[in-house]
Amino acid sequence: MSDAPLPIETRELSKTYRLGFFMNRKVRALQGVSLSVRPGEVYGLLGPNGAGKSTTIKILMNLVQASSGEARLFGQPSQDCAARQEVGFLPENPAPYEYLSGAEFVRLAGSLGGLFGRELDRRVAETLGEVGMEHAASLPIRRYSKGMIQRIGLAQAIVTRPKLLILDEPTSGLDPVGRRQMRDLVSAERARGTTVLFCTHIIPDVEALCDRVAVLVSGKLVKEGSVRDLVTSQVPLVELVIEGLGLSQVRALGEPLQFEQEIGQRVTVRTDDAAGQRLLRAVLSAGGRVAQLSPARFSLEDLFMETVAGAKQKVGGEIN
Amino acid sequence: MIRVFASLAWNGFREARRNRVSVVIAAFTLALVGASAVMADVTVYTMRRVVTDFGLGAMAILLSVMAIFLSSGLLTREIERRTIFLMVSRPVSRGLFLVSRLAGNMLTLGAMLLVMSAVFFLQLIVFGISPSAPQLIAAGVLWFELLVLTSFGFLMSSFSGQVTSSVVTVGMFFAGHLANDMYELSARSKSEVVRAAGKAVYYLLPNLERLNYRGAAAYEVTPPLGEVFQSALYSVGYSTVLVALAILLFNRRDFR
Ligand SMILES: Nc1ncnc2c1ncn2[C@@H]1O[C@H](COP(=O)(O)OP(=O)(O)OP(=O)(O)O)[C@@H](O)[C@H]1O
Ligand SMILES: [Mg+2]
Repeated sequence: MSDAPLPIETRELSKTYRLGFFMNRKVRALQGVSLSVRPGEVYGLLGPNGAGKSTTIKILMNLVQASSGEARLFGQPSQDCAARQEVGFLPENPAPYEYLSGAEFVRLAGSLGGLFGRELDRRVAETLGEVGMEHAASLPIRRYSKGMIQRIGLAQAIVTRPKLLILDEPTSGLDPVGRRQMRDLVSAERARGTTVLFCTHIIPDVEALCDRVAVLVSGKLVKEGSVRDLVTSQVPLVELVIEGLGLSQVRALGEPLQFEQEIGQRVTVRTDDAAGQRLLRAVLSAGGRVAQLSPARFSLEDLFMETVAGAKQKVGGEIN
Repeated sequence: MIRVFASLAWNGFREARRNRVSVVIAAFTLALVGASAVMADVTVYTMRRVVTDFGLGAMAILLSVMAIFLSSGLLTREIERRTIFLMVSRPVSRGLFLVSRLAGNMLTLGAMLLVMSAVFFLQLIVFGISPSAPQLIAAGVLWFELLVLTSFGFLMSSFSGQVTSSVVTVGMFFAGHLANDMYELSARSKSEVVRAAGKAVYYLLPNLERLNYRGAAAYEVTPPLGEVFQSALYSVGYSTVLVALAILLFNRRDFR
């Protein structure tokens, strides 16, 4: 690896929100989260509601101060405003100034990011095109729908062509076309060498876009790795679709089943490879028919469900 | 940095314009016209005094209310509406953001002051009264009074909500105008504690009467320019301290 500083690096990051009049109620939103994002990679942050994804991002953007631990952007402490020079940020539910038009807001964001003159004009026009907002760009943001605001939020994040994009639920509120555009946009950014960190609940997006993912549960990092490794590290299963036998009859054949389902005349089961072969033979000799035998794709979604269930997640951080 | 400052300050001015602060100017103009209709037959001397008194007074009240309204709660409002996320996530420090927003407010108030003064002087001319230096000074120094109010509003807004900060800023406005009186009252007290408290309050509170040259204008007294300059400097110094405090508090705040 080169010794260029990592776009994002956090060490033992913790955040405890103190609430109530005497600050005696505590919510532990993050507990010792260490992660690093390498240059040029797309990194997905997954986790159930209240897991601490937004909190992590807010600490990176210096909107919230960590209770302990440290966060660095390109090697600089996230508290320094110079660390944000090369960063574009889309918060969850972005709120641009409503009295401005979309174009005016993107222009303001560009000028705060250091653009000016012709360059600024050019980038504003380009960016509005990229997010498909050129038609409504002169309308006041007050008149925008949620998805339109989301698009303007995205536009202001990419207007300066940052080296690092941090996106908090970028597809929330977007229509299917917008979601596809969002995915294309992230792919395009990756192709340009931009590093992207984003969090989302839409796992297909993660599978399609991310090089690596981290799963946060209750403020703790419970899994991190490349999408491919995480998915293929699981034991491969096969799926059998059986006709002519009821579920109870299939069960009676005595093979261990990971998954079972009976719809109408069809029974679908999953099991490991060896048991699958034995089951196939048993079904046939019991007078059933195997309509289909296929490798069961173990998806990131399954992994996610399993991880969350394993961590015994209550929604949100620890409250005491 | 200058560019960032200018963009943010200009944006603040634009915000005020779009939120129709011009209504306040219209109200001021109407008040002046209405008032002059009431005074049909008075001597020129009385008229000069009354018109000056009323015009400058109305200007001061309206603009002070504006200053308090625009500044107190501004930061908290930005946090509550989450508009601030998209601003301070730029390579812009919170301090610079705060100072630029304050400059935007002062630009707005300055522009309003200019327009109102123009209306005021126009009215004088219509009445056949020639504008004078004391009136000009009174109007100019008003801006420095507004600077103190605005800085105080920002300080309050850096840690408390809209309601608290406007109530406290209004309180400060009155106390600041009564600072002299309170000092003198307490100085006459027999109690040591009251006297000490009076002194403390006197030195802590901004002395807003020091920035009030409206009485002098009504009576056509030209204040010495050195003194006017000192008053302006006092206002800038006092505001700097307030803003420094505001930045200190604001820097520690979590936005969530
Ligand atoms: N302002 C706040 N005050 C107190 N607790 C908070 C605050 N903001 C967040 N929390 C707590 O911190 C924890 C993590 O919240 P966070 O917003 O980071 O979750 P998230 O992973 O982004 O969830 P979601 O998927 O719902 O957006 C939650 O338990 C939440 O209750
Ligand atoms: Mg969130």
